[in-house]
Amino acid sequence: MNMKKLTAMLCLGAIVAIAGQSVIAAEKKAAPKVEATDKSAAKSTESSGDKAAAQSAIAAAESARKKAASIDGEWRDTGKMIKKAQAALKAGDFAKATKLAKKAENQGKLGYEQAQAQQTLKMPSYLKY
Amino acid sequence: MKNLPGKLLLLSIVAAVAVTAQAAPEKATPERDREVFENRFKERFPDLAKEEYANGVYAIDPIGRESWEAIEEFPPYELFVDDGKEMWDAPFANGKTYKDCFADGPGIAHKYPHWDKEKGMVMTLPLALNQCRESQGEKPLKYKKGSINNILSYMAFESRGQKTNVVIPEDDPRALEAYEKGKKFYYTRRGQLNFSCANCHVQNPGMKIRSDMLSPALGQTTHFPVYRSKWGTVGTLHRRFTGCNKQVRAKPFKAQGQEYRNLEYFLTYMSNGLTLNGPGARK
Repeated sequence: MNMKKLTAMLCLGAIVAIAGQSVIAAEKKAAPKVEATDKSAAKSTESSGDKAAAQSAIAAAESARKKAASIDGEWRDTGKMIKKAQAALKAGDFAKATKLAKKAENQGKLGYEQAQAQQTLKMPSYLKY
Repeated sequence: MKNLPGKLLLLSIVAAVAVTAQAAPEKATPERDREVFENRFKERFPDLAKEEYANGVYAIDPIGRESWEAIEEFPPYELFVDDGKEMWDAPFANGKTYKDCFADGPGIAHKYPHWDKEKGMVMTLPLALNQCRESQGEKPLKYKKGSINNILSYMAFESRGQKTNVVIPEDDPRALEAYEKGKKFYYTRRGQLNFSCANCHVQNPGMKIRSDMLSPALGQTTHFPVYRSKWGTVGTLHRRFTGCNKQVRAKPFKAQGQEYRNLEYFLTYMSNGLTLNGPGARK
């Protein structure tokens, strides 16, 4: 093989190598976009699920609060907790919203049970009739 | 003995009737309730004279009493009494005054609360004052804070020496019903802390709750409205009800709503015979 042919082959090889590197680099750059889109989609699904759960928890809490209130069994902080849950929902903090709402729902249930248990007057034993 | 079985049967029936006739506490008459209530405090504080209960916690807290007696030399409610007198005397826009609604006033606090047969409800003095204002074309006052406490302080001051004398008229069963509702409220546990009014003020007067001594229920209504150091001002009985309900973490009821008026009716009845000494000063 003469020198001219060898040089041409080497140059061609270099060009091919450089071109290949560029393609690989471009693919690498593209790949994250594909991954990011997948992750964003995943996050979006998860987030809308969390949002729905928070909304559902708040609705359940409000229902429990009203039930307790219907027999004068509402506790002091239940309504405040629901308002805080609603604010957290609005701010996108779904975990906090859900946690507060579940706490409020529990208070509503306990308040209702308490008022039910106290429906009938029972005079205390330290009053000597 | 002739006809012994018959006589034994008769005796058993009589005994059974006698046992049944002792009304269950829940069905006792208001006067029986009051006697039992008073006896509870006699048992709890055997050396305390009944009239002392009008001094509230200072009847049972000797250290607190010293401070209270010092405060009473220059009582913080005095300015409110003065402002209240101005309110009493000042004509409404239509030229009339409170005297036109309350001919016997201002010293009429002992006439409240009472059963209003016409309206079918418990009438309290703050409610009557606002009804007077509205009938004269004036705006009603707020029931917990503000200037209602001025005129109430003045009227309470002018009523000092009068005896608590709540009547539950027998010719209107609704009055007894209101009393019973107030009684039920008083003994019902409520709130996250699950306390009734009675848990603190009938079961445990004289005991400490954090750093404060629990006052006895007997006599609690004689000295309202009250200047509370905690409030830095004078406040009404219903404001205190609201605060107590919040303290046990129950959602409070509306001031001058049916619940608190019935509660006031019951609680004031329990202090029948005690001398009015408002306005008071408390921690």
